Amino acid sequence: MFLEDESISRRRFLGGATTAGAAALGGLTLAEIAGAETPAGHIGSDATPPAWFEGPDPSIPKAGLRWAFSATVFFADRVMINTMDSPAGRGYTSVGGGEIWGPRLQGRVLPHSGADYYKTTFTTYYMLQAADGALIFIHNRGTMRRFAGPYERGKPLAPAPAPPAKQDSVWTRFRATPVFTAPLGPHDWMNHTVFVANSQRQANPDHTVFSYYEVL
Amino acid sequence: MREFVVPKTDTKIVGKIELEYAFKLAAHYDPPQESHTPRGTFRYQDIVSGEVSGERVNGTVYPDSGGQYDTVRADRIRDVDAHFMVKADNGEWLYMEHVGYRRTDGYYRAIAYIETDLKGAYEWMNNTTFVVTAKESADQREVVFYYYIAN
Repeated sequence: MFLEDESISRRRFLGGATTAGAAALGGLTLAEIAGAETPAGHIGSDATPPAWFEGPDPSIPKAGLRWAFSATVFFADRVMINTMDSPAGRGYTSVGGGEIWGPRLQGRVLPHSGADYYKTTFTTYYMLQAADGALIFIHNRGTMRRFAGPYERGKPLAPAPAPPAKQDSVWTRFRATPVFTAPLGPHDWMNHTVFVANSQRQANPDHTVFSYYEVL
Repeated sequence: MREFVVPKTDTKIVGKIELEYAFKLAAHYDPPQESHTPRGTFRYQDIVSGEVSGERVNGTVYPDSGGQYDTVRADRIRDVDAHFMVKADNGEWLYMEHVGYRRTDGYYRAIAYIETDLKGAYEWMNNTTFVVTAKESADQREVVFYYYIAN
């Protein structure tokens, strides 16, 4: 069940993320990933090639990202304590469930295991369950900003125009930074790896797709 | 536990992230002070000074405005928790928070959250996720943080 009351919904806060943002963000499909070339010698869970980014001079260490897994998270109840515009505004969006897939983690979002208890940005607490049954706690913080169009390397990002101006090309940069607590064993790597996620709000049904990258 | 039926969707997508280098921060710390706690070894390090440099921001760390409040875990990995204030060259204040891991194999990475004046020159840092890669000196008193914007 979804609360559709615009006054208490986070849709307004999310702005263009639901449709325009998701479309503008694009991203690769699973088929494209599967079809992507993987470096020789890489097998199994580390098959996705990393991407490296560098600064303006070679003294700056490069930073690398490698796709680890993705999760679809379906939300259930949406509640607002006060309004989002008030300094005390606090929202509650419960997590119904979801799926996890990708090279380094497969499983599901443990049904009804937590929620997003957001203020101006989201702060979620819930549980993942890996295919081997392991329970993994996720504390996820998010940041969101809207720009006039998608990021292009080397070009400055312009702020999104204020409504009622055309919002078609607005790009919502929605990033999440999870901290995982996993049991010792095959998922221990999640206890000492920094992650950053691309997040995309989807409509019909209401859910968010998180693409988690390991920071190398 | 209530069950949940995952709806069928066609959104099995892998969204992109591109990193964009922003600036660096050279931090100077006092020697770490360690204490034994129920959570592990608590490791406090006062930030004495520091310099921020880059095309988009320059400034200095406000002396003694915070530091690192890390926990050394049973597996010897440090949960990094750093908080301090920066004063930009134009006089504006930046609050900086870092959450990450410092491993014994040289991996020292964090996410930085920065809060700035809504009407200031550094407003672009608000609600921006920074991916940080860090280099630590052998005596752990000099740390250089390199900040990349997660676009």
